[in-house]
Parts: sequence; C-alpha cells; structure tokens
Amino acid sequence: MATAPYNYSYIFKYIIIGDMGVGKSCLLHQFTEKKFMADCPHTIGVEFGTRIIEVSGQKIKLQIWDTAGQERFRAVTRSYYRGAAGALMVYDITRRSTYNHLSSWLTDARNLTNPNTVIILIGNKADLEAQRDVTYEEAKQFAEENGGFMLKVNIKMGENVEDAFLEAAKKIYQNIQDGSLDLNAAESGVQHKPSAPQGGRLTSEPQPQREGCGC
Amino acid sequence: MFLQEVARACPGFDPATKDPEFLWLSPYRCTEPQPESTTPRGWNSAPGTWPGCASIGGGGSNFGSSRPNGKGLPVKESSRGQDKPENLFSRQPKSKSEITDMVRSSTITVSDKAHILSMQKFGLRDTIVKSHLVQKEEDYTYIQNFRFFVGTYNVNGQSPKECLRPWLSCDIQAPDVYCVGFQELDLSKEAFFFHDTPREEEWFKAVTQGLHSDAKYAKVKLIRLVGIMLLLYVKQEHAAYISEVEAETVGTGIMGRMGNKGGVAIRFQFHNTSICIVNSHLAAHTEEYERRNQDYKDICSRMQFCQVDPSLPPLTISRHDVILWLGDLNYRIEELDVEKVKKLIEEKAFETLYAYDQLKIQVAAKTIFEGFTEGELTFQPTYKYDTGSDNWDTSEKCRAPAWCDRILWKGNNINQLSYQSHMALKTSDHKPVSSVFDIGVKVINEELYRKTLEEIVRSLDKMENANIPSVSLSKREFCFQNVKYMQLQVESFKIHNGQVPCQFEFINKPDEKSYCKQWLNANPSRGFLLPDSDIEIELELFVNKTTATKLNSGEDKIEDILVLHLDRGKDYFLSVSGNYLPSCFGSPIHTLCYMREPILDLPPEVISELTLMPIKTEDDGSRLESPMEIPKELWMMVDYLYQNAVQQEDLFQQPGLRVEFEQIRDCLDTGMIDNLCILQTFSHSVAEALLLFLESLPEPVICNSAYYNCLECSGNYTASKQVISTLPTFHKNVFNYLMAFLQELLKNSAKNHLDENILASIFGSLLLRNPAGNQKHEMTEKKKAQEFIHQFLCNPL
Repeated sequence: MATAPYNYSYIFKYIIIGDMGVGKSCLLHQFTEKKFMADCPHTIGVEFGTRIIEVSGQKIKLQIWDTAGQERFRAVTRSYYRGAAGALMVYDITRRSTYNHLSSWLTDARNLTNPNTVIILIGNKADLEAQRDVTYEEAKQFAEENGGFMLKVNIKMGENVEDAFLEAAKKIYQNIQDGSLDLNAAESGVQHKPSAPQGGRLTSEPQPQREGCGC
Repeated sequence: MFLQEVARACPGFDPATKDPEFLWLSPYRCTEPQPESTTPRGWNSAPGTWPGCASIGGGGSNFGSSRPNGKGLPVKESSRGQDKPENLFSRQPKSKSEITDMVRSSTITVSDKAHILSMQKFGLRDTIVKSHLVQKEEDYTYIQNFRFFVGTYNVNGQSPKECLRPWLSCDIQAPDVYCVGFQELDLSKEAFFFHDTPREEEWFKAVTQGLHSDAKYAKVKLIRLVGIMLLLYVKQEHAAYISEVEAETVGTGIMGRMGNKGGVAIRFQFHNTSICIVNSHLAAHTEEYERRNQDYKDICSRMQFCQVDPSLPPLTISRHDVILWLGDLNYRIEELDVEKVKKLIEEKAFETLYAYDQLKIQVAAKTIFEGFTEGELTFQPTYKYDTGSDNWDTSEKCRAPAWCDRILWKGNNINQLSYQSHMALKTSDHKPVSSVFDIGVKVINEELYRKTLEEIVRSLDKMENANIPSVSLSKREFCFQNVKYMQLQVESFKIHNGQVPCQFEFINKPDEKSYCKQWLNANPSRGFLLPDSDIEIELELFVNKTTATKLNSGEDKIEDILVLHLDRGKDYFLSVSGNYLPSCFGSPIHTLCYMREPILDLPPEVISELTLMPIKTEDDGSRLESPMEIPKELWMMVDYLYQNAVQQEDLFQQPGLRVEFEQIRDCLDTGMIDNLCILQTFSHSVAEALLLFLESLPEPVICNSAYYNCLECSGNYTASKQVISTLPTFHKNVFNYLMAFLQELLKNSAKNHLDENILASIFGSLLLRNPAGNQKHEMTEKKKAQEFIHQFLCNPL
C-alpha cells in the first residue's frame, strides 16, 4: 500500500475578480463542488472555497477568494487582493461593458498584488455563443498587449473551469521551482508546508500572509 | 479653600462634581474611543487560516463555557458606556489551561472535524484519507494468488550436512515467497549467552542454496533469537511490492524471558495485504502443555511491531490479514504409551492418533490458536528419531513420537496445497515439515486507486467547504433618513447561523481605525452563534458634536460599508446610507453669523461653503451679506431664558427633557422661533440646549489658540480682558454677550440661587476647552478656567 502523505504541501491563495454578474461565484462553485449553479445570487462580501489539487506530484491546497463585483464595494474588496498568488480576472463574453472594465481590474490586480502573481483572463459564458459580444481574438489581443497573461480561457458551462485553476497553479508552482517566486516574501501568496514530522508535535499552521491591523 | 467656600455658600453643590451631569444624555455622549474595544480583529485575518483553536478570538469555540439557554451569545460591547467588563473577548493573554481547554473542547465537537481537517498540525487529513482508503479497499484492489512455501525444522544444534532441496524445493512450481523457520539452531552456552553463533550464517547459506532453482529470490529479512531463526525470501520481481517490514522476538524460556524458548516474527505488507509470519519454539516435555499454552499467549501479547507512523499504537500479531505460524510447538501425544503410538503409526492410523494430540485438544478447547486452521496430518510424527536415520529414538529416555513441528494459518483466501514432512533429511532428531499455500493477496489497480483516492480527497474538500461558517442576514442595506443631531436612529437585522458554530465580528476596513464611521455603532459588534441560531444586531446611528460638523459641511456623508467577518468563514458587506439634516449644533460660530436664514432653509452648497469658511479675526467685507454679530440661534436661546427664566431656580443645574431638546433643536434649525415661545414650560431644557450648543461648537468660544493664554492670566483681570480682545470678532461678541447674560442672571440670585462660582464652574469648561482634548491636568486646568470666567462675572465688563 502506498504510504505517500495525503496532505498538501503548499497553499496557494487565489482571488477571483471582475464585474458584477460575470459569474465569479459560479466558477468557484463549479471548481470546488463540480456542480453548475444556474442561479447564483450576487456576492455581497467575500466568499471562499478550498480544494486540493495535484501539480507535478505535489498536493496543493487552493484557497480561493471570491469577491463582490459591485463597484460600490470596490474600495473594500481591494483589501482582499493582498497576498494572492493567482488572480482570475473574469468577464462575460456577452456583455461588452464587462470586457471594457478589464483594464481597471487589471490595474488593481497589478497594483495590489506582487509582481509574480499569475493573472489569468477568463471569458465566461462561452455557452452563450449566439449572444457573443466580445470576440476571442480581441480578448486575446488584450491579453497580449497587456502582457503577463499566461493564458486565456473561454469557459462554457462546466468546461475548462478546471483548466483555468490548474494552469494557474502549474505556473505558480513553476515559479517556485525556478526560484522566481520567493516563498519567504510576505506576499507571495504561497505557504510551504514541509511534511510535518508526525506525532504529537503541535506546529501551528502558518497563516496566509495578510496584513494585520495591530491587534 | 475656594471650593470649600463654594460648598458652604451653595448647599447641594458638591465640589467633587466637575460638570453638571445631564443623565439622559450620558448614553449619547461620545466618549473617547477606547482603543482596546474599538479595535476589532485584523481586517486581513484570513477566514481560511484556521489558526488553531487557541488563537480564536477568545472562548469562541469553548463550548464548555456556553450557557445552555443561549442561542447566540452576544457580547455587548460597550464602546460608549463606561461599564466595560473584562468580558470574554478581552484580548488578554490566556492562561495555559484555558488554551488547552479550548483545544480539547474543539476536538470533541463533532462539527469541528472539518475544522481540524484543515489544520495540518493535527494530521487528521492523512488519518482520514487512510481510514477511507482502508474502507474502500475493495474498490481499487483485486485478489491475486501467490504461492507461499512455509517450512519449519528443529535442527538439534547441528550444522547443515545435507542439501535442503528435498525440503525447500519439494513443489514443482517455484514459490513466490519463502518463510523458513529453524529451532535449536545452536544449543551451545555461547549462543545462549552471547547471542552469536556461526550456525546462523551456515543455515542461511544452506537455505539460500536450497531454494527453488527456477526463480531468483531476494532475502527480505532474517531474524534470530538464540536458536530460533526465521528467514523470509521473495521472488525478485515481488520485492518492490514488499513494504513496512518489521521483525521482533519474544523470549519465554528461563525466567519466562530468556531466548532458549520463545518466538520470532516478521511482519510485512505484500501489495495491499498485511502478513505476519511467526516461528516459535514452545516449552518441552509431555506434561508441560500448559506452559506451552502460556508461551503461545506470551508471544501473542508481547510481540509488538513499530508502525511507520510512530504516533500509531504498535501492531500486534493478530492485526494482520494473513498470519502463518510455524515452529516446534512441542505438543505431544498424551494418554497413549510409546508402543501404542508406534503401532498406530505403523498402521498409518494418523486420524486415531491425532485424537490424542495435545495441540488438537488445546485448540478444540479454544485455549490457544483461536481462529487458526491446520491442515490434516497425513505424515507420521516428526519427532524423535535417532540422528542420521529414520528410526525412532532409541536413547535411554526413549521419547514417544510426537507431531512437534507444525504449521497453522489464519486469514482469508488461503488455500493449503500440501502439508508434509520430509523423511529424507536426517541431520536432526526432528524431520523438517513444509506446507505450500496459495494465498490471495490484495493487489492495487493503480487506476482505480487513483480514482478512489481522488474521490476521498474531493469528499474531504467538500466537507471542508461545507464547514466554512456561513450565515444569512435578514437585511444588508440600511437607509437612515433625515438623521438629526443627537437623535438616535436604530435599524436592526437578524443573523441566522447555518450549521457550523461561528464567531462573528465587524472588522476594520484597511486604514480605518474602527469597523464603522464614528456616528454608527453595531450592537453587539461581535458574538458567537451556535448552529441554526439567530441573533439580532442593532445598528445605532447617533450624530454628536464630534461628527456633526463634517456632516454639515458634506465632508462626511451618511454612507458606510460594514464588513461582517465570520471567523474562518465568509465576509459580508453591509451598506449604510441616508441623509443628515444639518443643524446649528456642530456649526462654527462664524458660520452661523453668516447664516441669516435658518440652516434648514439653505441649500447644501451654501451650508457647506459657510461651514468650511476659515475663521477670520475681522470681517473683511468680502461677502455680499453682512454677518450678524452673534449667531441668531444663540440669541434665541439666551433671549428666551432672559425673558422667561432669569428667576428660575436651579437653572443650568437641573436636566432638561430629551424630547424638549429635540423640539428646541428643530425650532432653531427651522427658524420657527415662535414655537419656542409657545412651549412655555421648559426653561431647563432651553438652558441645557444652550450648554449643548456651546459644547458642540467645533471651535470653542474662547478659541483654542487663546486657551493657554487665558489660563496663564486667570487672576489678572486686565490681562484677561486683553486676551479676550484678541479673539475673532464673532467669538468676542459671543463671549461678551454670554457674560452680560450671566451677570444679568446673578442680579436675580436671590430667586434663582445662582452665584458666580456655580456659573463659573458650569461655563468654564464649555468656553475654555483643552485644545488637545487632554484630560490629564483636568482638575488644575479646570480650576483656572473657572477662575478665568469668575473674573468676568464679578467685575464690570
């Protein structure tokens, strides 16, 4: 019988950002529950979910923060960007306005996360091809022009969702491997958990590096 | 001295009383923010960071301390009140016992399983995955037969003298696994005392050479206790599937501990099946069967194997899927005499003879080898022969023949193919015994294993997600309309908890000192909720002197977002909106002087502009409308008191009525001055409104810049007057107007019982306020402020 540890050795923090109603919570739900939520109420606040995945034989716990997209909460949601290792930037391919706002989301993501944060552009609702308002090509061009994007995913109902999360994780893991992501940096968004020696020794789980407020 | 005078002159005036107390107002007075209570938990304390129970804010997960009646356990946070008990949530370092208490209580709470799951330190995830994998073993394994050769040989201290092939390679097919046991390997004292013997190597070589020639074998383990040795080999291609090999010995000989008797064992994992091989040499002599039973029991209880995970209890023999037990068990044939035994053997009446076999009898009595099986004995007893022959023992002792050497097994999917002795070997006074088995071993289907493992991991993820605390809120948008100065508005909502106990708290937004704007308060602002319970939260909006000015100017608005944070859980945003009706309360003196119309008749831009207008010493005439000399609102109140209350007893000392204050405020802000006059009865309320007005001025009547000058020259009237003359015009006007009014009141002191000391003490702290809000030198500064005002009351202006 295999005796490999089943516990994860890394935690990656992700944030999902983008306009209201582009389907951020659906993505989270689909990824963590493998279920499509047809009618998802607007997130007024911040939710999160976790899932353990495997990248190159390493078990990684993804801790995904799903933020409210409403403009009026923008100032508050910005504070959740800190320490994200991955940012999924979502727009709705049937609503051009959500695409037009991408640059402002991107600015936030760039300013509020560390330079190594992997940003992924996600064109959601690709199942509504008939109502498509943003072409794949222009989104691709946007991604290229702004650089730094690793990939662009068109998400249909329940499809490719895995890819988006996994690809980001692969990229982050690669950054760790080649040393470009410094795990000791306060805001790397990654925690390494060397396989804890078994047996009784209580080592507290390191907390994701987030800004404290002096209390 | 001075205070004593006051006390004598004025019965009922306690010199210790610093300020007139308006009790009904005290709940609404804005006290200084209390740093400890108004600093909620870190904004960024991630919900996903399960920091271990010990660091959960305080007592939240301590079920033991929650009262049984409680649905929720709100902790009223008295951020305004003075009575702040050292409650559950105070952030004091916890004693060790408290921390352990919390850890303990959280581990026994069923619903905390998922919580612990997420904490690596408990290693629970590993344990759960492993136990699920065991439960679902059938889903990803299949049974495959492997051939096991099991042999036992008591060699009577001899060196190997002949080839062991007839014994070890008796089967045509090469076995997959060899389990070969010896007893009495070396009977010398050296072997007994020094545990070292050349025989080990000799017999190991002999066995290795005797293994089936059709296959290549790898030695897995050799274990020896004095003369008891066990060897384990597997075919080379199986070596990769052997794991967790452990070997142990138990001596049961002299003193019940020595190694002349006892057992050795090797345990290992073959594919997904755990296997334990035991070789034992039990006590000798026909009548000693109970000793043998005891030896067996001792071996069972004392044989313990370390686990890979040291936190797990050691493994015993019985906790294996397959147990193969071989050895010189030394059980004899009882009741029959030697000749009878030999005769039955000659007749090959083994079945009859077997009825007298002690092992058979003891197993039937269930004293030993419970659950074990032995194959039918179709061979003649293996003990005792004259060495080098097949003849029964001819020595003096003339031992009766017995089946000393035996092989038993326990477990599923075990099929015995042969059980025999090997007469050809003549080295010892025993004959070797062998048994060949086909044993069904659980082999992992890698693909199915991966699938099962993934399912388990997914189900744990789901469990973890389902156990993220989550609540529902009855309301998330709160609109406070027409908020007025010092008029409490309350909106309430309900938090309904889901299935996970949770601790909630309003947390600070980044770069903010408090979880909400100063004019707002949530009550309670944190608490603990049991599953499926409710708690009502009140949002209390109250604008006081500290917050009014910025709301008047539009620098602040009735707008806020509150973040309700669940420990280890989600965050909820609550929106607060509304509008504030500007008031003369909280407006600067010069602003009011420029407002010829009631404040509520002015457009917001004008109010904003006038409120933000800098204070000037002299009117520069730059404004179209000439200002009034003093705020009309001040005039209204003073004039009312002058007309109606100069003879009123206890004026400024008796509290007014709250509802009347609100009417007065509305009259002043809407300009309905007539209404003020209609409501004849409440001089005390108007007096109080006047005091509140002075208190609410953002810049006190005597400007902050002149504060220390005033204190310095208190006692020198001329110098004091000089300081007053430097005040900005409107402030100077107001000061002089108030002094004139107070002197007017003193003229009626026979009726209203007021004197200079009372008025100086009341107005001193209102007109002269410490600019830093510093409370430290309060008493001395207050005294000086009173003295300062006192001069203006006793001397002609």
